[in-house]
Amino acid sequence: MADPASPPKAPATRAPVSGTRILLYQFLVLAVILAAWEILIHLGVIKAYIYGTPSGVIAAFGEQIASGVLIRHFWVTLQEVILGFLIGSLFGTLSGLALWLSPLWARILHPYMVALNGVPKISLAPLIVVWFGLGMGSKVAIAAIITFIVAFITSYNGTQQVDQDWVRLMRSLGARPLQIFRTIIVPGSLPWVVAAFRLNVGFALIGAVVGEYISAEEGLGYHVYYSGQLYDLDSVWVGIFSLMIMALMLEVVVAWIEKRLTY
Amino acid sequence: MSEAVLAAHGVRVVYNEGTESAVEAVHDISLELHSGEVLALVGPSGCGKTTLFNAIAGLIPIQGGSVTVSGERVDRAAGHVGYMLQKDLLLPWRSVTQNVTLGLEVRGVRGAKARAIAEELIERYGLKGFENAKPAALSGGMRQRVALMRTLAFDPEVVLLDEPFSALDFQTRLLLQADVKRIIREESKSVILITHDIGEAISMADRIVLLTNRPARVKDVYEVGIDETADDPVAVRAHPRYQELFTTIWNELELSPRPTR
Repeated sequence: MADPASPPKAPATRAPVSGTRILLYQFLVLAVILAAWEILIHLGVIKAYIYGTPSGVIAAFGEQIASGVLIRHFWVTLQEVILGFLIGSLFGTLSGLALWLSPLWARILHPYMVALNGVPKISLAPLIVVWFGLGMGSKVAIAAIITFIVAFITSYNGTQQVDQDWVRLMRSLGARPLQIFRTIIVPGSLPWVVAAFRLNVGFALIGAVVGEYISAEEGLGYHVYYSGQLYDLDSVWVGIFSLMIMALMLEVVVAWIEKRLTY
Repeated sequence: MSEAVLAAHGVRVVYNEGTESAVEAVHDISLELHSGEVLALVGPSGCGKTTLFNAIAGLIPIQGGSVTVSGERVDRAAGHVGYMLQKDLLLPWRSVTQNVTLGLEVRGVRGAKARAIAEELIERYGLKGFENAKPAALSGGMRQRVALMRTLAFDPEVVLLDEPFSALDFQTRLLLQADVKRIIREESKSVILITHDIGEAISMADRIVLLTNRPARVKDVYEVGIDETADDPVAVRAHPRYQELFTTIWNELELSPRPTR
């Protein structure tokens, strides 16, 4: 995983900082932020009913885990994200790669791809909720459709970036298009496919959470939205932090997969 | 000499033909490559050598004339011509062995049989121990050697080399020239070598075709006539005939390109 908190490479004169110390500093950053927040509340600089309080957030965290509410919301959203991500990324990648086989269709579809790429994909969400109903299905569908578009466009672009000299070499060897596709295009596009997967972790999360904002009875997005309506800002923060934890978890998994796939 | 394995007759290549920006890159070139022969094409930079190469390899359409390999039109004779460029075109996700077997796979030779052919070449030409290495772990000279093995593995009738050594440093280039010369003689390959390096042409080829500035035409043909046993490129360079040819070709080479319209 890319480590946003690690400092740039230290100059040669400085001793390298060990991994455990970095981790310690990373927790320290969090602790300082939370402490400053708490102190500002107590000094009356910012209002607890607008910002929530760290102590209240931690208490709410504990309560909601103990009661099982948070686990249930977390689990619902996680399923939506993973299912949507897998369905969208998989079919999107397969179709994007396969489009290489038909330059004619690639040309026909080009303006549609540009339009779909440009539109804020989340604007499709209300439609999808209407089509797929109020349950988990519609959130999976939103995440899947958004990630499909991203994977489709990115992987097709990947096939276009593959070195044409490889393709020419294969042709001169007498390879048929399907052989070139299998041997050159698919492995050659892999860096783009992996990049699309990375982007799609974020897009799947956005899709599922926005879907839950629109209408749902469970899930972290619902939890955040509903608590916000009730001005229960501590619970809003609990939801947001849970989403961050989920994003980090998924990021670690995708980074692990990326490591095996790249050459 | 024996019959021609590759014959070009009146080859003409024009870019953007029929438009105002039409540029003739190759004008009426005819040449024959005999079995087991190494033919070098030498010309000034930008004269259309690579265009001619692509035409001979059947990679681009030609606007006039014909190129045949063993009597078959080259663009319909996929797999009869193998080529090697300055760019090694190794697939970075494949090991050395898997890169060498690429052409065999396309022809349906797979598995143990393909691997055996590749491993024999790898051992014979000095890359033993690197069978499972990825191209990124190899030096430029080693990568070009792998590219040559990939070309030889599927046993093409004609091998085309387009400036294959020009990206290498001088020492590696000399060593690889010697190696490639030895390998193509051992495998008795018919080879066309495109180069702007006169020394390279003399030390590797049996015959040298000198091309004019763009549009490329055949200006002259020289028999090298240096004893074949002189595989050592340094020894070849010490040969009196080398000096003589070098001077002749150098003087004939149209070095300053004519201003373009």
